[in-house]
Amino acid sequence: MSKYFISILIGLLPILAEAQSEPLDLSQKDTVEYKDQYGLRVGADISKLVLSFVDEDYTGLELVGDYRLTRKLYLAAEIGNETKRQRENLNNTLLYDYETSGSYIKAGVDLNTYENWYGMNNAITIGGRYAVASFSQTLNEYNLYETDRFFNQDFLSGENPDREFNGLSASWLEFVVGVKVELFANIFAGMSTRLGFLVTNTEDEAFPNLWIPGFNKVTEGSKFGVNYNYSITYFIPLYKKSKKPKEDNQQ
Amino acid sequence: MKKIIPILLIAATLYFVSSCEKDDICVEGDTPLMVIGFFNIDDTTAAKRVPSIRIRSIDIDSVLSNASFSDRSNSPDSLQVPLRSNATTTMYQIISNSADDDETDQETGNIDTLTISYELGEAFISRACGFVVNYNNITVTVPESAENWIQDIKVVQPNVENTNNIHVKIFH
Repeated sequence: MSKYFISILIGLLPILAEAQSEPLDLSQKDTVEYKDQYGLRVGADISKLVLSFVDEDYTGLELVGDYRLTRKLYLAAEIGNETKRQRENLNNTLLYDYETSGSYIKAGVDLNTYENWYGMNNAITIGGRYAVASFSQTLNEYNLYETDRFFNQDFLSGENPDREFNGLSASWLEFVVGVKVELFANIFAGMSTRLGFLVTNTEDEAFPNLWIPGFNKVTEGSKFGVNYNYSITYFIPLYKKSKKPKEDNQQ
Repeated sequence: MKKIIPILLIAATLYFVSSCEKDDICVEGDTPLMVIGFFNIDDTTAAKRVPSIRIRSIDIDSVLSNASFSDRSNSPDSLQVPLRSNATTTMYQIISNSADDDETDQETGNIDTLTISYELGEAFISRACGFVVNYNNITVTVPESAENWIQDIKVVQPNVENTNNIHVKIFH
């Protein structure tokens, strides 16, 4: 038996050699895969805060937040309260002076269109919101416009100043374009421009809604309005999820 | 390419902002004047001019003149008079054949006194104009007299909200 042992061994040698022929894998797959952070981002609009200090006729606060649903899609919302006093003049004569005050809530989605480099979390987003505002307008003072000067050289004062119009409301759709940049770890600076389209607008017959909290100026004969925000937000990480490898990288 | 789309959208949004500023000039309205038309008493559909018309306000004791007619010339078919916004009546002397006596400077024309009573209303016109006055339910009276040149008065538009149409017809 041992006489043949060497022969068998020699006979099996090609198989052994075959087993060794598997090539050395030099480009092994990276097992440290990058995981995207998922969580909640909350913050405030700093432009409204700054304006509240600078402009004595304005106070406003807006809290912003978003929650990451998928790699690109975020649920986003804003909630705010604004008070703004405005005066309309004609050649230094006051026509009317009014104050709008109320709250609004906006909710919708943001879609990140920006492809980040490894480890970066910046965003260029487009999104949509549906917004609802509830507010009141106070007509502080007004004068009656009259170009004929036969009886009065100046405009007469209105009969019923200091009138408050309550229970006003409006709702609108908003198209949002924004950017968010991670300044420090988990702290983001963002800005967005919003084009609003009024869907409903409940106003008093005696005094229309000239300005709506969250919507900004209402233009006559148009349902569009423009507003913006500059936000500082903090990201609260909740969980991590690995980024799916891209199909075109597999080739 | 993906980055161009948001930039275009922002540019479009800014264009919207700048194109919406048409509310700065008041063109939508004004506190209206009352429009008086002069008609023939014999043919109530035919306009009839008043020779050498003069309109004096009793309330502020001065002669009215504005773009709608010329003082002491033949009246147009219709003319506009302002109403007082701080009172609910306005009184005018409407004088036909108005002239001054050479020696005494006294009015020699035929003077009829119109008393216009109304309710005051206010209306918001637009962002640029603000509020104006409207005069509602106007009534016009002339004291009865044999020497009146005004034969009849008819209010055809009791609410004075604009100056597009005749509000009061005077037949003579």
